[in-house]
Amino acid sequence: MIKNIIFLFVCLIAIISAGCGRKDKNIITFSVGGAPNEIAVWEKLAVKFEAQSGIKVNVLRQPTDTDQRRQGLITPLKSREEDPDVFLMDVAWLAQFAASGWLEPLEGYSRELGIDPGVFFDRVINLADKYENELVAFPVYIDGGLLYYNKDILFKRGYKNPPKTWDELLKYSLKIQEYERRRNPNFYSFVWQGAQYEGLICNFLEFAGSNGGGIVIKNNKILLNTPENRKALQFMRDIIKKHKISPPNTFTEMKEEEARASFQQGNAAFERNWPYAWALHQSFDSPVKGITGIAPLPCFPGGRSASTLGGWHIGISKYSDSKLNAFKLIDFITSFETQKQFALELGWNPGRKDVYADKDVLKKLPHFSGLRQVFENALPRPNLPYYTQISEIMQRYINAALSGELAPETALGKAQQETRKIFDRYQVK
Amino acid sequence: MPEKYLKPSLIAVSALFMLVFSLVPFIFMVCTSFSKSPDYLMAGNTFRFTLDNYHAVAATKSLHFAEYLRNSLLVSAASAFFCVLIASLAAYSITRLALPGKVFILFFILAASMFPQISMVSYLFKFMTSLGLINTYGALVLPYIAWILPLSLWILVSYFSQIPQELDKAGLVDGCSRWKILYKIIFPVAAPGILSTGLLAFIFAFNEFMFALILTTDQASRTMPVGIALFQGLHGEIPWGNIMAASTFTVIPIVILTVIFQRHIIQGLTSGAVKG
Amino acid sequence: MKDTTLNEIKESFSFILPLVLFTAVFIIVPVIWAMFSSVFRDITFLDKKFIFLGNYKYLLADPGFWQALRFTFCFTLVSVPLEIAFGLVFALVLNEKIPFRGLLRACVLIPWAIPAAISARAWELIYNYNYGLANFLCMKLGVCDAPINWLGTNLGAFMSLIAADTWKTAPFAAIIILAGLQAIPEDLYLQAQVDRAGFFQRFYKITLPLLKPVLVVTLLFRTIDSLRVFDLIYVLTHGGPGGNTTSLSLYGYKYFLMGDFGYGSAVSVVLFIIAFVLAVVYVKVGNFSRGIRI
Repeated sequence: MIKNIIFLFVCLIAIISAGCGRKDKNIITFSVGGAPNEIAVWEKLAVKFEAQSGIKVNVLRQPTDTDQRRQGLITPLKSREEDPDVFLMDVAWLAQFAASGWLEPLEGYSRELGIDPGVFFDRVINLADKYENELVAFPVYIDGGLLYYNKDILFKRGYKNPPKTWDELLKYSLKIQEYERRRNPNFYSFVWQGAQYEGLICNFLEFAGSNGGGIVIKNNKILLNTPENRKALQFMRDIIKKHKISPPNTFTEMKEEEARASFQQGNAAFERNWPYAWALHQSFDSPVKGITGIAPLPCFPGGRSASTLGGWHIGISKYSDSKLNAFKLIDFITSFETQKQFALELGWNPGRKDVYADKDVLKKLPHFSGLRQVFENALPRPNLPYYTQISEIMQRYINAALSGELAPETALGKAQQETRKIFDRYQVK
Repeated sequence: MPEKYLKPSLIAVSALFMLVFSLVPFIFMVCTSFSKSPDYLMAGNTFRFTLDNYHAVAATKSLHFAEYLRNSLLVSAASAFFCVLIASLAAYSITRLALPGKVFILFFILAASMFPQISMVSYLFKFMTSLGLINTYGALVLPYIAWILPLSLWILVSYFSQIPQELDKAGLVDGCSRWKILYKIIFPVAAPGILSTGLLAFIFAFNEFMFALILTTDQASRTMPVGIALFQGLHGEIPWGNIMAASTFTVIPIVILTVIFQRHIIQGLTSGAVKG
Repeated sequence: MKDTTLNEIKESFSFILPLVLFTAVFIIVPVIWAMFSSVFRDITFLDKKFIFLGNYKYLLADPGFWQALRFTFCFTLVSVPLEIAFGLVFALVLNEKIPFRGLLRACVLIPWAIPAAISARAWELIYNYNYGLANFLCMKLGVCDAPINWLGTNLGAFMSLIAADTWKTAPFAAIIILAGLQAIPEDLYLQAQVDRAGFFQRFYKITLPLLKPVLVVTLLFRTIDSLRVFDLIYVLTHGGPGGNTTSLSLYGYKYFLMGDFGYGSAVSVVLFIIAFVLAVVYVKVGNFSRGIRI
């Protein structure tokens, strides 16, 4: 009997040892997430890189969800593991990684290998990729919020150009919706992202930023409950509850894909979304193919159009055991050829400025010419290591204001109070 | 109402409710897996049948679906088997043998299982890395065994305690060792409870997400739940059709297992053991 | 006499050793580690320092924590009795000798068999405002004339979560209770029938008392699991609307993601204490130790 038990335990050990990994110094581990077709591109690039440089790249696939990717990186980094050597980071938590001392400074390497940070968008490099004046990451692709509009629907109501101010958008929307509703009860003029997640803050920062508001840090205090923010939030709430030009599930379900689907099926005239939606709107079976227009987002009187900066950046782990090789990979990924390939194959917006002027790219993606300007003026989110926590708190309260549970002033006031506590708790040094 | 009619009608109504309760959401999932786009219930849309989703899931190499399924089945089977084995041994000794501090042990195990998974992930990762087990079956099987042990232990303890000690005494009189009694007498009698616990353990390991996400890094040992999460697109595109198709695939082994084992679970306590 | 007892104790140790080993390495040590971590300011981008109850003081003053606590309690108090009630009914039906029993059992197990993350997605689709099953059925059956924003109100989101959770976990309760039902000897019922005991009488006098240990186990474990609910909420509502469906696990998770391991551990410890207290209450009230005759 005992012999049987021992045998079984030996089996257990055998199963456990199956597939024990071996560590190889000449392989760099690259951690990246994305949809299956994007991962396919990464794997192709890894093969090409190996052919060019002789360095083998082990592509570690993560899910696309930004939180899961972050968790998948924090765990090995906190344990000071050598793997992954190089990885992609969401611009929202880049500062957290930098402040935690997990990112290898890149200035030295770029000087050695001749990468000029000037080929990338200045604002992005200075406001997102540098932490305490040290360059720690390069942009792989970037995003900025845009206004999509249905040219047909607008034209039918006599509007030739997209609205420049929010009031104009409201006016257009009301008129359009009154008409469109007669044949389509599911029609809501303006779709944007209001669910309780990071996208909500991106949207909020655009509304507020176009009114001169946003997340302000002055005299070592966070200011949220400003008149500019209040006005913006009130507008966001009104278009759902009062004017009803945005669907009632805006603050529960509307994220990027929901908004895109709504616009694409002709159930909306205006859509706030990231540039990725363009390619999908132009796909061969899309009802809005050829009639979609892009414009900068509207603003409030006296303000300027604001676009929140999104995107993913690449960095090297401080604990990596092959940093030079890892940097060579970064060099490869941020090279003109590779970035052009991203644009052409996946419709991504490169971090390099020069790709936007390339003939082939402009032929396939004509809207890139307008995008360059949008990105040059894009607003990054605050470069704080605890930004996501502040965002969490704001998400809760802003979502509560949108759902009607709290008045905008109360919501912003409470958010300000709580974020101040976060500020006190996490303010570095 | 005479009892002759009351009981069957209650049973019939309850059985019908059970079917509707369990199956309606599942049927919806299956329908979605066969549909070209997930919004077929919206006013003005029709249901368009397609096998593309299944084809995509089964055939697309980059989805690595077959590997995830294989890994899930192996990891779950191993975890369930060893967990039930260890728990049975412990349950036996708690219910039959003199063991100082039994109640304490039971409680201790229970208390330990009350921590949320997220608080353990860092430690487990460090531990597995130092053993060189990251991205192997071991990285998952070992924590799963430990994680399901408390529940298995308690179920088996409450089950074993119902089995009369006379059976043991009969064996002892015949000169059997404790191991033999466990193996030859208790296991057959307790088979329903043991198999139920095994099934629950299997399903738990099959479903688990957080540890699988952190402790595995590629398709060598990644499991289904993480695999399906990987279908998601960059901006939140959820390929409902693919996900539902994959889910239907994963449900099939569980259903088969249940149908096979439920015949053994049917045997009651009174079949043979006491009389024989 | 003494020899056999010593032998017995040695034997029992060897039986229980694997369990203790696994639990010690994979559960006890990380738990102690987490408790230890909770008295430090353990944030990845700040210096580590010993702050004793600092994390806990912050926790008690944080409205987010109390919101999460309220929700978690309400969720547990509603979902657990519901699951067990359903599970009991299902188990009773499955215990009967009806045709297609095997297939019925398999069907009932399906909700539990689907991974939590996936079933959460399925329910997300079901509750979808525009093309979900819930709104479709509601309108078709005439229960409502406009689509309902299920996840849009506090009550709606709460009830939706309860429904999705109960769907998934009632089979679990059913399986455990069924195993307990099987353990009740047939003879008792036959004897009761000879004594002309009615249907409900048999249930109250025989079934329920003998099921008590199993019911307490199920109650206990379902409560502990419910207190830690995470996957479902993460996918379905992500804690919304307005943070009103944030469970304690989700609350702690967000701090872990931020790199604030000390605070996350503190939240875990609080969760642990709550679960522990409830467990003690259950066992005392359920008079469990009498029922299992150890």
